[in-house]
This record gives sequence, C-alpha cells and structure tokens, in this order.
Amino acid sequence: MAILKEITSIASVSLAIGENWTVRRCRYRSDDGAGGRLCIATGIHGDEKTGQLIAYDVARRVKNEPHHLHGTLDIYPMLNPLGLDLGKRTLPSSTQLDMNRSFPGSPEGTVMEIICHHILEDMKGADLVLDIHACPQIAAEIYGARLHVHEAEAMIEETRALCPEVIWVLPDKPAYNATLTGSLMRAGTKAIGLEADSRTEGTQRASDQVVSGIFCKMKEMGMWSGETVAPPASVPVMHGARDVARVTCTRPGMYVPVECIGEQVEAGDVLGVIIDALEGETVETVVAPAGGLVFTQRRYSCVYPGTLIARLFRKERA
Amino acid sequence: MKKDVIFTVPSYFRDDMDIMGYRFGKGEKSCAVLGALRGDEVQQLYVCARLVAYLREVEREGGMMPGKSVLVVPTAISLSMNAGSRLWAPENTDINRCFPGDAEGSTTDRIAGALFDKLKAYHYGVQLTSFYQPGSFVPHVRMMETGRQNPELGCEFGLPYVYVRVPRISDQATLNYCWQQAGTQAYSLYAGKTQEIDEAAAEQTLRAIIRFLNGRGIIRSEAMQEQKSMVITNGDILSVTSKSSGLLRRVKYAGAHVRRGEQLAFILNPLDGSVREVLKTPATGMLFFIQDGPFITEHSPVFQVVAT
Repeated sequence: MAILKEITSIASVSLAIGENWTVRRCRYRSDDGAGGRLCIATGIHGDEKTGQLIAYDVARRVKNEPHHLHGTLDIYPMLNPLGLDLGKRTLPSSTQLDMNRSFPGSPEGTVMEIICHHILEDMKGADLVLDIHACPQIAAEIYGARLHVHEAEAMIEETRALCPEVIWVLPDKPAYNATLTGSLMRAGTKAIGLEADSRTEGTQRASDQVVSGIFCKMKEMGMWSGETVAPPASVPVMHGARDVARVTCTRPGMYVPVECIGEQVEAGDVLGVIIDALEGETVETVVAPAGGLVFTQRRYSCVYPGTLIARLFRKERA
Repeated sequence: MKKDVIFTVPSYFRDDMDIMGYRFGKGEKSCAVLGALRGDEVQQLYVCARLVAYLREVEREGGMMPGKSVLVVPTAISLSMNAGSRLWAPENTDINRCFPGDAEGSTTDRIAGALFDKLKAYHYGVQLTSFYQPGSFVPHVRMMETGRQNPELGCEFGLPYVYVRVPRISDQATLNYCWQQAGTQAYSLYAGKTQEIDEAAAEQTLRAIIRFLNGRGIIRSEAMQEQKSMVITNGDILSVTSKSSGLLRRVKYAGAHVRRGEQLAFILNPLDGSVREVLKTPATGMLFFIQDGPFITEHSPVFQVVAT
C-alpha cells in the first residue's frame, strides 16, 4: 500500500514586488479508499514557530510508515509566512491585523479576508482540524487544548486522545467567532486549538508530546494503524474563571519569574517579583492566590498593571 | 472646562499614561467625543484638540446649554502614539477590539473597561476613528446595524454620507457596537486621513460635531451651513479592486466626482514601469475611499465609489 503526496497552493495573492503570499498544504492520502480526513494547521501567528517542528515530525513519521496511514492527512505548516519571517504575531503590514481574528474572511474582501476565506473553505468538511499554537517569547505554557464553552460538551471527549495535560474550556467572548477554530465550528467542522508546550522554544520534547497525541488521535479516528501511546483515561478539564485563577501584577516594572510552570503551588507561594532597576528595589512580590497547577507563566519581561503573570488550575477544582 | 484623569496606566521607565477627559457644562451627560484609540490616529487626535479649544471658548461665552455636559477624550493611547505603534504596544493588541473591557483583565482590557464605564453614561457618543486599511475617506458618519442605530439623527452632523454598515463578527468587540448595545446613540466619524493632518477634512469634521451639538441643544454657537446627508448602506458602495499588484499611481482622490469608465489609477510594474492595469470607475458617482499607500497587492480594494 502506498500513499499519495501532493503539495497544493490553497491561497495565493500577489504582493507588490515580485512575490506571492501563498498558503500551501501538503496532503498525504492512502490509496486504500479510507475516508477519514485530519487537518493540521500551524503558524497563524508568525511568531509561533514550534508548529514547524511538529508539522515536520508528523510528516516524517507518515513518510516512514506510509502503510499505517488510512485516509487523508492535510498539513498546513505556515498560514502567515510573512509573520514568520519577521517574527511577528500579526500580519506585518500597516494594518497589523491578527489573522486569527479575521475569519471567516470573504472571497471578495481584502487580501487577509481572501486568504482566510480560502483557508476555511479548504478545511471545511474535514473530520477534525487541529490549530496548533505556542508562543514561548511571551509566556511558558504546558501542553493543553482549548475549547469554547458552547462546544465543550461535544468536544471534550474528542480531545482526550490528543493527550493534552489539561483541557481549558474558555468563557464566551465575541473574538472567538472570528478565530479559525470558531469559524470552523460554526461551519460544522470540528476544530480544536492546541497550545504546545512552550517551556523552551523549538524543543524536540515539545514536538514529541504533541505529535504523540496527534497519532493517538489518528488511531482513534481509524486513520493510523501504527504504534501509538494509549489515550489517557481522562484529562483534567478546567472551566473558565471557576477553575482558573488568573494572576496579574499591580505595579509596573520588570517581572523576574520564579520558575514554576507545570508545578503544583500552594496559596502564597511566590511566582516572581517585579523589580525597579532605577531604585534598586522590589516593588511587588507576585504570589499564588490559591493552590494549584501553574499552566501558564510569563517570561522575564516589562510589565504593566494588569499584565498576566500566571494562570493556575485551582487545586480544589482539579 | 474641567480636566479629569479618566484612567492612569503606570509605566516602568516611561511616564505614566494618563487618559485625559475634558468636561464642559454641568448636568445631564449629553455627548461624549473620543479621539485616538490607535497610535496612528493623528487626525483624530487633532480634531479632538481643536474641539476642546472650540468648546473652551463656547463655555467662556456662556454657550453651554443649562443642564447639558460634553466630555472630550482626545486620546486613550498616547503611550503608543509616542512610540509610533498603531496597536497598544506593550501587549500588541487593538484597544478597539477589547470592548466592553474588563477592570480585572489585561492592561488593554482595563483601558477599554475604564473608558467604557465613562462613555456609556452619555446619551450621544461620537468616536473619531480610522479604517483598518491605509487610505482617505470622504468625511462621513458611520454606524453599525445593530437594531439600535439611528441614521436619521446621524444626518444632523451634516456630512455628505451616513453609512449604515452590517457588522462583521469581529466588530462585536468594537466601541461603536458596544456603545450602541449599552444604549448610547453612537456614531463613528471618519475624518479623512489618519496618520497625518488634513486641515480641510479636520475642519469639516470639527464643524460637523459642532453642528450636531447645536442641533441637539447641547451648545449654542454660531450657525453653520448644513450639507444634506445621504444615508447609504453596504449595497450602495461599489468597490474597485485590483487584479494586479505593483506600484499604485492615482489620478483621482477621495471626494472627486467621477463618470462611469473614467480612469482612477494605474498599477505599474514596480521594476520596469510598464502599466499592468488601469483602474476605472464602474459607475458615475463620488469617490468615497481611496487607498493611499504606494504599494498595492492583488485583490486589494483600492477605491470605493458611491454611485449617484
């Protein structure tokens, strides 16, 4: 049994001087007539590079074990190539728009809207779409899945085989409707947002964890017959503000973290300090308001009052 | 005139950012006017500064009507204006996608929340705003179709057009949308340019706000000639979109009356100067919007025409 590999430009717009903004998809399809289809998208934010390694590792394994693929695997390694080049989250133009707030797009709109429209149209009808994020420059995260509150009930079980360390059910916000996953769900295509482990950037460990979950999920979908890890019996599920303590700072300065990402902390444990280098003083000590798992922690950086320092999965809700 | 600090964002090595509000008159919260919400909204800041200067004189001459008050907030993003960033620089976020805000949220959420708390108390709301694409508009009034919009009242600004637009999903977190939902009669005014001062458009926009305040019985100042407004919707606007990319050489500008088939711009090969495309108007009417950047991509809406 062989697989068919096909690289397609699913959207392309000519830029001003001798270059196109092209979104490419690499399709691997088994020739056994299996009908399942999984889409893996990365790089909607140009500064999130971990998805490159994940896409590469998934493709490499499929090419090494082609006989184990049953169905269609579509990989979209980079949706925002201009952003990747400049290390920018947004589209690097005068508009500075966030691509993941521009869906569903429009076939007759602006360049961004056209690109978003074609991406969405190309993914529609898949059995599942995974939108992979990771932004290690700003904050460290553990591997998690993000679902919208209105779709959580139907999607939690779908998510388990991806083996995330946590599933976070996000509260309702209008911005969700303009994201890739939000637009796909509205269009009737199941989609899950994944945050890869970003404790350190571009590590094999972070990729291995997500890739392992992807093949586990493909096996569950009947798309993969090779060896995979067993899906976890359950994954901790966090529901919005009820289960998640959002820790912010109250003073401006430089945040110096006490590394505790992925660890259980107790109420009162120090998560870092805000320093003032001019005065040579610590202006604030940021502590955990409750015991729990630190699943997001900000990196060493300049902060303002309200800047997110950490998110905790409250122990009493775990 | 009273100066209030609406919200302060303390900063580390920079000065704290105070969002200043200028209040005129006493009594009912009649009208709030907001200028720059993005760091490149220079024209919007300028119109507000001119409005503050004008209302100061009106108040000094006893022109504020009893029991009415006006709030003007020239900018809510001076920190980014000084740094040359369109977005709220520390978080790389658009404040105008964070309404109604959240007092316990991120810094951007807190700015939006503090502003909205003040602004939603006003009966009428005017936001001087900019388009997300670089370009120039015929000064006009714009509002979203939320079911609470009142375009007839928008005609009292006396600008050429009142544009009622169907909101997109991403618009639900904008000030105009949330303001209307909160019960304020909210209007967005497009004051021609964004990143530079256009004196003629600024003057036209300033006079429109003064005309509205006069018409609503909030101030009494010299009468100004009113232009009859035309209410338009998405269906009245024809877009002229590029099929090619390259350098854009315009021959017509916003506000020009054009006849069907007239040449509007040339798209040139940026390396050899040959003409790749001639953009023509599909209808007779007024050029409502033009992109004013030197580069143009394929499928880019370069002009908008309101057909007559």
